[in-house]
This record gives sequence, C-alpha cells and structure tokens, in this order.
Amino acid sequence: MRNVGIVGVGYCPQFVSKRKDVSIPEMISEAVDAAFADSGLGPQDIDAIVFGNMHTFEGVNLPHLWSVEHIRALGKPVMRIATGGTTGMTAFHAGYYHIASGLHDVVMVVTFEKHSEGDAQVGLLGIITPEAVAMMMAGIDLTGEGGMGAQGGGSAGAITYQAVSWMHKSGATIDHIDAIAAMERRNAAKNPYAHLKDPEATAEKIAKTPMISYPVRYGHVCPTTDGATVCILASEEKAAKIADKVAWVWGVASCASDPTTGNLIEGLITDPAEQMQCVIAAREAYKRAGIEDPKREIDYVEIYNGFAHQTLMYLELVGMCEVGEAHKLLEQGELEITGRLPVNASGGVVSTNAIGTSALNRVTECALQIMGKAGERQVEKEVHKALAHGWGGLMQYASITILADKPKKL
Amino acid sequence: MMEETRVVQGAWELSTFHFNIEARGINLMLEGFKEKKLKGIRCHQCGMVYLPGPFYCRKCHVKIDEPVEISDHGTVRTYTVQYADIRGNPMPEPRVSAMVQFDGCDSWVMGVVKCDPKDIHVGMRVKVKWKDQPIGNMQDMEAFVPE
Repeated sequence: MRNVGIVGVGYCPQFVSKRKDVSIPEMISEAVDAAFADSGLGPQDIDAIVFGNMHTFEGVNLPHLWSVEHIRALGKPVMRIATGGTTGMTAFHAGYYHIASGLHDVVMVVTFEKHSEGDAQVGLLGIITPEAVAMMMAGIDLTGEGGMGAQGGGSAGAITYQAVSWMHKSGATIDHIDAIAAMERRNAAKNPYAHLKDPEATAEKIAKTPMISYPVRYGHVCPTTDGATVCILASEEKAAKIADKVAWVWGVASCASDPTTGNLIEGLITDPAEQMQCVIAAREAYKRAGIEDPKREIDYVEIYNGFAHQTLMYLELVGMCEVGEAHKLLEQGELEITGRLPVNASGGVVSTNAIGTSALNRVTECALQIMGKAGERQVEKEVHKALAHGWGGLMQYASITILADKPKKL
Repeated sequence: MMEETRVVQGAWELSTFHFNIEARGINLMLEGFKEKKLKGIRCHQCGMVYLPGPFYCRKCHVKIDEPVEISDHGTVRTYTVQYADIRGNPMPEPRVSAMVQFDGCDSWVMGVVKCDPKDIHVGMRVKVKWKDQPIGNMQDMEAFVPE
C-alpha cells in the first residue's frame, strides 16, 4: 500500500437551487476547471477518473460517459460509483484505491447532483422500485393514508423515527435540534459554496419554522441543491511535486447493513438510530489510521447530516463522544468554529445537499481545514487530523475517511 | 450568468417495467390477515422471527420456511406525529405513526396509531385494530390502538 494525498479541490462557483444557465456536463466542467486551477494540474496529468452521483435522480443513466469530454477523460479509464448518500465518499475511496494499489499516480474524483432537473422523491422511490410496487399492489399506501406503510415514501419518513429513537436514548430534546440547525446555518454563511445561509440564525428562529413531522421541522432539513465537486488525489512521490499543502489519507472504511434501516448485524432490527454499520466503519477506519483514542486525536469532524439531529447522533456513533454527550457539548459551545470539537464549519449537508457531492464535500472540507485553506470558515484550533463521515444507501451504508497533515508512516 | 439553457421534458414510465419479486413471505402474511392473524417466518438456525418473513434468514442467509404466528400486541419503539404530507402540504389533522415491535417478533413494522398525539411515547403498549371483514390486503390492519 502507498500513501495517497489530496492535492487539489474544486467546487463549481455556486451551490444553489436551480442552475438554469448550464447543463449537467457544463456544471461538472466548472468544478473540474476549479480543481485544475487549485492544483496547477491539467488534463494531461490525470491518469484516471472516478465519477459519482445518485442513480435516477436526473433520469440520466450514464452521466459520466455523457460528460466524458467535460471531465477531460478522452483516452482514459472512467468508472462510476453509486452508493446513495455516501456516493461522493465511496468515489473518493475508489480513487484512493487506484493510487494506494500502485496502479495509478494521479486520479481525479468527480461528483455532481443537479436536483433541479429531476425529482428526489421519485429518485428515492426508484432505488427499491420492485419492492415498493409490490407493496402498493398489496394495498400499502406510500403516501400514508392507509394503516401499514404510512411514511413509507422518501427519506424523511424513516428519519423522523430515527430522530425520536435517538432522543429517547440520548436524552436530547427538540431544542437541541433547533440549536444545532442554527449553528449549521450560521457556519454556512461563512462558506461561499453553501446553499442555505443565515448569519443571524438562532435556535428560537429555527423553532418558528413549520413542523413537518415531529421532531423534524422545516428548519432541520437539507435543501435540494445543484452543484459539483472535484477532488484530485496523488501518490506520495507525485504529491510532493504538485502541492505545498497536502491532506493525507490515513484510513478509509465502509460498512453495509440490511436494507430496512440498518441494524441486523447486532441482531436487533430495525432501530433506525442504531446505525451499527457506522460504528463498525468508524472502528475499522481508526484501526487503519492507527488511532487509539479518537476523542483526543481527532481535531475536526465533518458529519453527513441531511437532517440536523444527525450531527449530534453521528458524533456519538463515530465515538467522538459518549451517547448522551453530544447535546451537552453543543450547549457548552464546543461544536462551534471556535470550540474544542468543531463540527461542520462548512454548514454541513443540512445547509447544502447536491447529493452526489455531499459525502465528498465532507472529505474536501476536512482537507481544506488541514491545509489551512478554509477561509472564513477555518476553525480556530489547529487541525492535524480530521474525520469525514457519510451515510447513504437505504439508510444502511456508512463510510468514514480519516485525513492528516502528514503522510502516514508505512 | 450565461443565457438560459433550453428545457426538454422527459418521463420514465414505471408501468413499462416487469419486476419479479419473491413474494412467499408477504403472501403468507396477507393470508393470515384474512383470519386477523399475523403470520411470520422463523429461522430454524438462529431463531430470528420476521414479519413479513423472507425466504432466507437475513442474518444467517440459510433458507427458512417455518411459519410462526405472532401476537398482534406490541410495543412502540419509535414514533412521529405528521403535520405535512409527502409533498409538504399541511394535513387537516396531525397523524400519529409508529414503528412497533410485536411480541415475539424481531423485526419492526410501521403504521398509524389512533391516539392523541400527546399520549404517544416510546415503550407505549399497542394492539392491532383489524377491519371487520378482512380481505387479505395491507389495509386489513386499520391501525394500532392503545392496549
């Protein structure tokens, strides 16, 4: 295995609800150009491309090959990855494997989502179409008027169950969810690539947004965003020549559980807050990174939080604090940009969600914090090691990436 | 900003696809509904009880086919109170729904709970309210009601 480092990050100029001025390949091209500008590299320097976005969301089945010129892939290998919400990070992991294995030296990871061209609810239904159609034929009502199967459609249904189950275990209240949502919106205001920004956000202001489904309010939910992100990876030898500041990959891990809500591994199905696959992936990533005490060794965390309570829930599940402790750290201000355990200085997924990019943005935001290139959202403390988290699939897939400011001793 | 792009409409018709799915477990459950009974499948190897039952154990991945009758009483494991429908439109009345674990069953099911939103809580005991004349359809289970 060889060391691999991040040598370039490129975002499209803005992450917004509707990019009507560009097509999908044109929007992707903007992020590719930004990554080339950031790294000083050009198409001739790239050995291979890994591409990721949600299947079915835009109704385009080979977006990587449709965009083949815009991702500058002519004459090069391209593969597409799709693991749901984790897609961006799984694509990143695939890029890492390309180089760590010794097969390639410089690999570009390209991700996008252009939600405005499709329908996320149809896309989400499309991941289990045969089962969903069969249940409808048996009389289930996915829109929820009938008995069984109310709340079957879309991710927000099961998410509310997750939030209640987590609150029951942790002792947190809806006030804590309001407060973390407000923190993310304030952080997003410092991030030029964030979608929903509010420098004046407070828990009280979030608490006034309409209740969708208890305990999930409108203010707790991610937007649907148009955007593209590109990340360039290089071997240790090449990275030294390309960049002054490199974020090094120390550990990657993924884990799957059952497609209901994800806890079969430990025997209890199907508490959507148990998320055993996340616990296992974090444990494995720490082992690979040689991290014995994440609470002491990890300086910065980016959590994939499509919904605000997940920032707190997953901090507990990845072992950055004990169960029942995350909302207390929030109360003490420790999760803020100025805090002892800064989380989601970017504003997180709850502020910006172009899904294909969302799990990769967790990694690139950790990388920018390590490189000291995060601008106004740069956290106060020094960041030597950072953890990026993703969740996806049918709420049953987890991915973790650990980055550091030095190459790992091999 | 450049000039706006041209928009072309497109559609994928779900009715053009023909899906084959394994249906023994769901058929067994729907048959049971006709007698107002819950019928799941137990794994002979690890003892897990599923509703609806798969034809393989999700844990051991061995073939399973042992039908088991499950109590229609259970415990609320988690819940929500819905104020908006799937498209975000406000609903006339808030609706309580929950994930319930039936006694003796390992998997959880979702459904509407007929109770005051103020009363719902994790650990609440509920039972199935059956339709008077069930026909072997998911709608036969009208709702969960407090025990």
